[in-house]
Amino acid sequence: MASTPTLEQFLRELGNIIRAGDGEQMRNYMIIEPPYNDLYQKMINEVRQNYPKEQEGALDDFCRDNLPEARDGIDGVSWTAFIYFIAQYFTFIRDVNVDNLLDTYNLFSEVMQKISSALGHSTLGIILLPTVIEYSKVFAKLAIGLDKQPELIANAVATTSDEGGEGETLPERAGNIIRSAFTTCLNDRNSSGIAPDNTPDSRNKKSGIYKLANLCLKIFFQCRKIRNCEQIFTNIYNQSPPLSIYPKAQQVTYLYYLGRFQFANSHFWRAQLALQHALDLTPANFISQRRLILIYLLTSNLLLGRFPSAALYSLPEARGLRQHFGPLCRAIARGDIPAFQQLTSLETGPSAGWLYSHKVLLEIRYRGFVLVQRSLTRLVFLVAGDPGDPEARKAPTLDISAVHTALRYLEHRPPQAAVYVDPDFEGMDPAELNYLDEDGEPNPLLLPTFAESEALIASMIDQNLINGFISHRQGRLAIQGAKRKAAVAAGWPKVWEVIVAKFAGEEVPGWKKDGAGGTGMGGGMVVNLSGVRGVS
Amino acid sequence: MSGSVQASSTTAKATVNDTKDNGETPKEQQKPATQLEEDDEFEDFPVEGAPQQEETELPSGSTHLWEESWDDDDTNDEFSQQLREEIKRSAKSS
Repeated sequence: MASTPTLEQFLRELGNIIRAGDGEQMRNYMIIEPPYNDLYQKMINEVRQNYPKEQEGALDDFCRDNLPEARDGIDGVSWTAFIYFIAQYFTFIRDVNVDNLLDTYNLFSEVMQKISSALGHSTLGIILLPTVIEYSKVFAKLAIGLDKQPELIANAVATTSDEGGEGETLPERAGNIIRSAFTTCLNDRNSSGIAPDNTPDSRNKKSGIYKLANLCLKIFFQCRKIRNCEQIFTNIYNQSPPLSIYPKAQQVTYLYYLGRFQFANSHFWRAQLALQHALDLTPANFISQRRLILIYLLTSNLLLGRFPSAALYSLPEARGLRQHFGPLCRAIARGDIPAFQQLTSLETGPSAGWLYSHKVLLEIRYRGFVLVQRSLTRLVFLVAGDPGDPEARKAPTLDISAVHTALRYLEHRPPQAAVYVDPDFEGMDPAELNYLDEDGEPNPLLLPTFAESEALIASMIDQNLINGFISHRQGRLAIQGAKRKAAVAAGWPKVWEVIVAKFAGEEVPGWKKDGAGGTGMGGGMVVNLSGVRGVS
Repeated sequence: MSGSVQASSTTAKATVNDTKDNGETPKEQQKPATQLEEDDEFEDFPVEGAPQQEETELPSGSTHLWEESWDDDDTNDEFSQQLREEIKRSAKSS
């Protein structure tokens, strides 16, 4: 004889909540995280006694019988998915054992799929939004916990989703499950999603998109599946109300991840736009958030030719950053290739490990190297260039062989740090790669040739980092625009000014502004990864 | 309906205790600054629904934080001297 007074009472309350359309109250009732209080303990006992394992079908029937509001619907459209969600919820609280993280994950994953499906109801689904957000937070915590204990999931790769692709990891799968809830919310067409007071319309599931998106992004970044973020940014760019109408905390978290995504794709200009706005929106007292934003903003700006000032380093959130970035800035400004290579090598750079752990080292090493080379050509002009004569209409020039000599010379000293190692061959023994000859001297065959030195300058000209042209026949670089300003200023414009001229006005795909993005622009905008050219 | 009162009050209390509003936990707030470097996780800052703080956004005010003129014209340091000599030597020998 079934004895389920507490469960029946609980379902009656849920029925009332559905009729009242009270999402907050729904969340307050659907407690998911142990420890459970007495009332929930009673329910757990009743489920265990009446619906033990293998009795899930009967549990579904019980919920159906006691939830007429869901069974029949409020406006005649039944909400069966809600019934399955509640039955799954009861199963969860019956079986959960938090000492076993993997089992908890699997059980919770079932709950998430059921609630996500129930969220899809066109009129009643909105009642579940606060609960979905709450559960997604817990699920994200669980997924990140699993990612930090890889030994727990070493043998438990979830089903393979892509043909021939890598298996989907458990944390990644959690992100994808939350993403499906996010997509459901984004597709709510009950209204524009914007209330008359220009805030998110709480009756529309779009009000939850940034909270859910941020949780997905957090998981994907944590489990190093940054590519999975792209779909989220594309969907938001196409369908979201403007980001600015959402609470600032949500804007900041979203822009932080968008900035990091753009950074990881070498779109440093876009990255600094998103990150600068995130920093501007973050009140001064949230130092840990500001610090994380600042690390990526600083690196982006550095690579765009905008260095941190003393005032920046003195901010509380910038504590210690000078020691990591100061020497790099100096090496770039000096054109000191050996120092730069030493600083960005994991073996020799005092801050390289720190930079690597923040996932900025490789970007600095490769993009930053272009800036070092630019400074070096500038320095060579200062020490060996011909200043020309504006009166005599004689342009300043630089013998390319001087640049060539400088490049070869710097590759000589100090051998370990100065030898350029192609990323493909990183980690290999230099001797094996013939970087050094029998006497330990750099292999002359691997030093830059004159043609390569010339190509380097041509590439700088092409990127507007040098303002001039090459006379191939004379083997000289001629500086343009030196009539109006000093030769070196004319020939080597400020990097930041070059960058601004190139990118000013460009939008950041994924950052929905008023009237921006959307129709007809498609997802291709985020796919374009051609940010920066390397210089060989 | 004492059951319902009990349910709503206890569950609401549990929820409040559980999440401290907006997912921010006391642990994170009290985290010592020295741990900042080890924790790469970005947490929402907890001001949702609270009165907005004054914006720190100062388009002109933030400019001094960045240095766009950093080119180094010093040609008398050791590095420049070595380069100069090497270039001279190379020019003579060719």
